[in-house]
Amino acid sequence: MLNKFQVVAALFLSITFAGCGSKTTSNDTQATDTAKIAASKPTKSILVFGDSLTAGYGLDDPSEAYPGILQTKIDSAKLPYTIINGGLSGETSAGGKGRINWLLKQHIDIFVLELGANDGLRGIPVKETEQNLQTIIDRVKAKYPKAKMVMLGMQVPPNMGATYASDFKNMFPKLATKNNMALVPFLLQGVGGVRALNQKDGIHPTAAGDKILANNVWEVIKGIL
Amino acid sequence: MFNAPMDNVNFKRKINIAWLFKMALRDSRRNRGRLLLFISSIVFGIGALVAIYSLRYNIQNDINSQAATLIGADLSISGNKEPDDKLQNLLNKLGDDRSQERSFPSMVLFTKSQNTRLVNVKALQGNFPYYGELETAPVQAGKSFKKGKYALVDKTLMLQFNAKVNDSLKVGNETFMITGVLNKAPGQTGIAAGIAPIVYIPMQYLDKTGLITTGSRINYSYYFKFNNNTNIEKLAKGLDAQLDKAGFNYDTVESKKEGTSRSFADLSRFLSLVGFIALLLGCVGVASAINIYIREKIRSIAIMRCMGVKASEAFLIYLIQITGIGLIGSVAGALLGTGIQQVLPMVLKDFLPITISAGISWLAIGQGVILGLVISILFALLPLISIRNISPLNTLRLSVDDISTARDPFRWLVYILVLLFITSFAYLQIGNWAGAAFFTIGIALAFMILTVTAWLLIRFTRLLVMSSWSYIWRQGFANLYRPNNQTIILTVSIGLSTAFICTLFLIQQLLIGQVTLSTGGNQSNMILFDIQPAQKKAVAGLTREQGLPVLSEVPIITMRLEKVNGKTAADAKKDSTLRISERAYAYEYRVTYRDSLTASEQVTGGKWEGKAKPGKEIPVSAEERFATRINAKVGDKLVFNVQGVMMQTYISSIRKVNWNKVSTNFQVVFPTGVLEDAPQIHVLLTHVPNNTVSASYQQAVVKKFPNVSIIDLGLILNVLDELLGKIGYVIKFMSGFSIITGIIVLISSVRISKYQRIQESVLLRTLGGSRKQIFAITALEYFFLGALSALTGIVIAIGSSWLLARYTFNMPYAVNFLPVAAIFFIITLLTVIIGLLNSRGVLNKPPLEILRSNS
Repeated sequence: MLNKFQVVAALFLSITFAGCGSKTTSNDTQATDTAKIAASKPTKSILVFGDSLTAGYGLDDPSEAYPGILQTKIDSAKLPYTIINGGLSGETSAGGKGRINWLLKQHIDIFVLELGANDGLRGIPVKETEQNLQTIIDRVKAKYPKAKMVMLGMQVPPNMGATYASDFKNMFPKLATKNNMALVPFLLQGVGGVRALNQKDGIHPTAAGDKILANNVWEVIKGIL
Repeated sequence: MFNAPMDNVNFKRKINIAWLFKMALRDSRRNRGRLLLFISSIVFGIGALVAIYSLRYNIQNDINSQAATLIGADLSISGNKEPDDKLQNLLNKLGDDRSQERSFPSMVLFTKSQNTRLVNVKALQGNFPYYGELETAPVQAGKSFKKGKYALVDKTLMLQFNAKVNDSLKVGNETFMITGVLNKAPGQTGIAAGIAPIVYIPMQYLDKTGLITTGSRINYSYYFKFNNNTNIEKLAKGLDAQLDKAGFNYDTVESKKEGTSRSFADLSRFLSLVGFIALLLGCVGVASAINIYIREKIRSIAIMRCMGVKASEAFLIYLIQITGIGLIGSVAGALLGTGIQQVLPMVLKDFLPITISAGISWLAIGQGVILGLVISILFALLPLISIRNISPLNTLRLSVDDISTARDPFRWLVYILVLLFITSFAYLQIGNWAGAAFFTIGIALAFMILTVTAWLLIRFTRLLVMSSWSYIWRQGFANLYRPNNQTIILTVSIGLSTAFICTLFLIQQLLIGQVTLSTGGNQSNMILFDIQPAQKKAVAGLTREQGLPVLSEVPIITMRLEKVNGKTAADAKKDSTLRISERAYAYEYRVTYRDSLTASEQVTGGKWEGKAKPGKEIPVSAEERFATRINAKVGDKLVFNVQGVMMQTYISSIRKVNWNKVSTNFQVVFPTGVLEDAPQIHVLLTHVPNNTVSASYQQAVVKKFPNVSIIDLGLILNVLDELLGKIGYVIKFMSGFSIITGIIVLISSVRISKYQRIQESVLLRTLGGSRKQIFAITALEYFFLGALSALTGIVIAIGSSWLLARYTFNMPYAVNFLPVAAIFFIITLLTVIIGLLNSRGVLNKPPLEILRSNS
């Protein structure tokens, strides 16, 4: 038999790691080369902590994801910041809660939080996601009280139902206000739902789409750099 | 013959065909009873073949239509966006009946309990499913729900929220009445079906739910049914390019079968094997009958030669006769076979969990008759060509029955013809020449082994028999090598039959082992994932508390491959001679760590190391295909990026993963002692016995661990399990049936040796041999023949089944010796019993009577 288990394996694989997606192959930069960063000139660091959107799922080169583009923008603006890509495909808020300490081992000046999309796609209660995100924020605050924080907002597709969709959408501004964070209202603004800017799965942006994502974030983040 | 009176015979006379026919008929008249025995052997051989073929065709059709429930239609086309106009036009024209479905995840509200839950909404329009049914309670709901604002809800989900039929369910802005509980649905074997429980609604209300707007993620599926025998595979392949361009893909029953389970391929291979063995059984039945028949005819032929019949005429007379016998036997065999195939399923109806349709397969009948004829002629040719060498003198030298064919060049031609016949038949069954050649060589080898064994037996018994032995023992052994012995022919036919029967049996055992492995009661059918390290113990505890087994609990860490022997992705891209797949670097590896191998893994190279030594390079185990992809071998160095931390590892072992077993399998396995602190999630596999348990378990998990996601494979596995179960039964049934027919062929081929021993037994009796003595002598002869051939046959079967398991079915091999020993005893016993039955006539009647009737 077969491939019954293969079905099973593929199943949970595709879900765990595509949480934001449904294809099995993937691509991701996690906090790429922490070592490299540590070795380079003493600059300030920005940790983008997120899921497949941050990791650049499905892109030929993970540096085409929006954190990579932000880095180019920062470099061309000659700002002394290095971005650590802390994206992991399929990451949920609960997973992020478990993973944050691993990444907080390195010093952080700006913390960008991009999580929740996978929770939304799995229909996890908004309250639960909110608590997990709050815990992550609290941990960052506890370790690096001086770090500036940015919240990247997310929405779920309308087919999830109006109530859930609006609760989910409102959670991000609420958390941002409560924790005094800069807010990008909707990371996928201008990209979500636009066929041409998304990969075949319809949810992960293409390289072109990621440029727009980077702009969305840049508009907010450039003010605090 | 110079001075003989026959000199005036015109040896150059033309062959008078009518006369030849007349002679063929006349000759057959002499002893119709005996002829009947020979024909019966052909009848059984061909009967077996036709019955097995017919059953096989029917069963194959049955399983195929069962398999159609995997998608519920002949063809399905789906994509995650609305089809463009061009595609829509195509979709409107395809097939004879079409249905469409929109599916998407959504949070629905059970209004009574005010619970929301993520479900997979399927909005359906049309008569889908065309194969199988939406099995619901109440039954009619599966069809009637399309008529109004009704919904069908997955059984477990109903139980979980304590919902009842007639409750309402809010999907988007619309409220539907739950009209039925969904138990089973065709086409639910896909991955997407498992993520969330299913809710069916009629498509006409979809727009009103307000869930389909810009940004919605909707899956569009189209189902087609074709009335006539369209080649769906071909059609679908033709559409592929167009569909691919539009971002759609297709599924056919065939492709679904391939992707879903290896059992389908195993089944069709097994049925081919059964067909092939049926043919060989037919060959054994027919060939041994014909062979003995011709040998008995030597005296008549010699007499005819004395009367002036030319060698070529004698040859033709018997060729005509054999063709006639072959035809009669084959037609009768086809009738018998069809009869068996018609009656058997009906008789066994109550015992079989499958319905086998009893349609008459004309293809099988035609094949049976033609094959019977061809086999008769082909196998008669060998003794027949020796007819040409029977001189009139043979009338006088009757005692010497060896008409040497050793120097006849035509013999080789016949051998080649037989080989060609078997090879081309094997090709028809298997579909490739290499395999066919392999099979033929195998059969030839088996044949040779048996012949050599028989020859050795003759040689050794001759040396072995000592005058000090008792009379009975000496006679019994002497029968094995004396002139007119039947050692070779019986050893070959009993041995080959045993080999076939035993091979089928062994392969069947292995296949059944595989199928039960996949459908067995304790297979995981529920997966919990995204369990956080801190929750691990509690989730496992909760599972056990509910009385459910924790079948597997594994940590999963995500990492990427950074370097292979110092080469990065950029190096691999630049230098293709490295033969490292670029994608290997882009892939996110789901890796686990543990200190031992699992049952489904086997180390094929290097040494497994379960513990990492602090400060040293980490020994990891790579799966075979992964190692090939990165072109690495044992000892090669890999650097993994574990979410920012570089880990220097080397491949300490290469594993082969047996995907047939249900367990979590990994490309890369780390030893314990390094990844314990890395960010990880845990996956837990369990088996829930039924929907009620599933519902309460899910409820408990969701309540305590809201972040944990659950996949209930119950609905998916239902359809598959049922199908696999049926395949298991089909395999058992077909092999049982073939084994029984094999035994009948074996009986009939031993039975035809009846007249061989009669003369001698009668002579012995006339000379004063007691019944007891004759009985003992016969029993001894058949016992040695039976035991030795069965043993040789079994040895051949073990060899052949090992080869089949290894190369045709690709499965691990194991022999259960107990049933094999049983086969040995049964066949030996059968041979002795039939041998004794053969001489029963001699024993019970006065010698004179027998001498008169069997002149």
